[in-house]
Amino acid sequence: MKFEIHKLQVLRRATQIGVLLLMLSVPAISRYGNYVAAYDIDGRLEDWKGTLAGTALTVIDGTFRKLPGGEVERVGEMVRSREGVLRYAQGIYGGPWSFEIAGVSMSDPLGAFESILARKHVAYVVAISLIIPIVLTLLFGRVFCSWICPMGLLLELTDKIRSILRFLEIRPRNVKFLRGTKYALLAVGLLLTTITAVPILGYAYPPAIINREGHDLIFNAFDRAETGLSGLSIAGLTWMSLILLAIVVFEVLVSRRWWCRYVCPGGGLYSIIGVARPIRVALVESKCTHCSDCVVACPLGLNPKNDQMGIECDNCGACISSCHDDALKYALPQWQACRKRK
Amino acid sequence: MEHTKKKTAFDRRKFLKGAAAAGAAVLGTTVAGRFIGGTGEVSACIRPPGALMEEEFLSACIRCGRCGDACPNQCIQPFTEETSAIHAMKPGRGQRNTPVIFPRQQACMLCGAVDSEYLLCTDACPTGALQKTKKEVEAIQDQVKMGLAVVDKQLCYSFNGASCGICVRACPFEGKALRAGMWEKPLVDPEYCVGCGLCERACVRYPQAIHVTPRGVFGEV
Ligand code: SF4
Ligand code: SF4
Ligand code: SF4
Ligand code: SF4
Repeated sequence: MKFEIHKLQVLRRATQIGVLLLMLSVPAISRYGNYVAAYDIDGRLEDWKGTLAGTALTVIDGTFRKLPGGEVERVGEMVRSREGVLRYAQGIYGGPWSFEIAGVSMSDPLGAFESILARKHVAYVVAISLIIPIVLTLLFGRVFCSWICPMGLLLELTDKIRSILRFLEIRPRNVKFLRGTKYALLAVGLLLTTITAVPILGYAYPPAIINREGHDLIFNAFDRAETGLSGLSIAGLTWMSLILLAIVVFEVLVSRRWWCRYVCPGGGLYSIIGVARPIRVALVESKCTHCSDCVVACPLGLNPKNDQMGIECDNCGACISSCHDDALKYALPQWQACRKRK
Repeated sequence: MEHTKKKTAFDRRKFLKGAAAAGAAVLGTTVAGRFIGGTGEVSACIRPPGALMEEEFLSACIRCGRCGDACPNQCIQPFTEETSAIHAMKPGRGQRNTPVIFPRQQACMLCGAVDSEYLLCTDACPTGALQKTKKEVEAIQDQVKMGLAVVDKQLCYSFNGASCGICVRACPFEGKALRAGMWEKPLVDPEYCVGCGLCERACVRYPQAIHVTPRGVFGEV
């Protein structure tokens, strides 16, 4: 059990990083498609060899050509199939805010609900894009926060800065606010969205901001390449990145994981949707030695040792892997019941 | 001991802190709506094809950028101060980060150069802010109305003694939406013009003599 949990943590971190990389590669794939569509790709690959944009294009080109249908034979030689690679390039859009791959569309419920409430109309495409996120959340709870959200990843990593500060005897404060704030913010935000008919929460919601800023950054890198410059530039970002920076600085100095614990309207919405999740962290009371390691480990500041995670636990499993006495585990009530019956 | 004491005494302080946080949050949302989303009057701008009318579009669109990722033509940009300043525009209330096209920079080619069943941006949109449009002449004529091309007769070469007609050759509905009159004078038929802006992009005059006026400016257009 123990070993598997550590594997799960590795898988989780890998997924978070994978999501981040995928998000950054979407704009690059988009530009790749542009150049292929304009019959310009070979020139770009040649001219930009060795630069960041060139390397990105080379990797994307190599990958797509290896996929089935990515190449065709011409006079005994395998060459790029324009239609083939374009089909792949056109199969992936968006980022953690709203994503589509191979025709499967997924939107953050916060965005979808905002769109529905602001427009006062449920569009078919919105409903479709809600299915996967909602089903996953119903089953696993707030797992978007622990597996997908780039802000979650960022804050988990800046948590390490807090440990370093503590090690240096600089004690970062850990102010606690009311958890209800995020539900209040969600309610007020959705109400304002309905009244003003503009989806406003998406403007200040980190996954959406990171989605847009990531796109801007990479598109800017290609714009730079087109004008003969190379590399990334913060000029590609907008001032909205400062919101992210403010969240991180406040996290490091004032309050651990404050955004996700107290403020995030999206996290609040995921919590509410996942209220009856069957898969949750459960305590085996007989094994617990009340060492409180799990309480320290929980990034969301919950209390696993009292078995009171409520609706906010994002099933990240940090508490399970912190427990030295095997007292915490994922409970899968129905499945276990089935197995017993066999 | 201290633990239990804390638990009973926290109420007021925690409540005040919470109330302060909630207040800040509400303020934050208002600020988000008011400032982050853009301020001032809504600017008339060219939306990607199949877009709902501006007001409903601003409600439905979640500013995800998927349409921009899908466009094979690099013409859809996020409407920000940075992208729009060189076109002497500015995102108005609620318009920041919405997808916009600046035809003089890059006009919509109605997905002409790629093989697809739908206009790709409309296929990519997860909210229906851009309505799915088949890439067929009838469907495009029916559903796409990005704006209307208007010729400035003071500027246009063909109206001033030098036959040009470049814009007419650029129009995907040449002969219908944009027709060459005497001395290649460009004549726009509002019935057929979809506002793609390829004429504006192609115009050899600087500043451009043919310009796509965003819909809404002429009422129902
Ligand atoms: S119709 Fe095609 S070319 Fe025009 S904006 Fe949409 S994706 Fe781009
Ligand atoms: S894809 Fe649709 S919802 Fe997303 S930015 Fe474009 S118009 Fe808006
Ligand atoms: S007249 Fe211009 S804007 Fe109108 S359809 Fe033709 S090219 Fe497009
Ligand atoms: S391209 Fe410009 S200058 Fe030439 S005919 Fe058209 S509008 Fe006039």
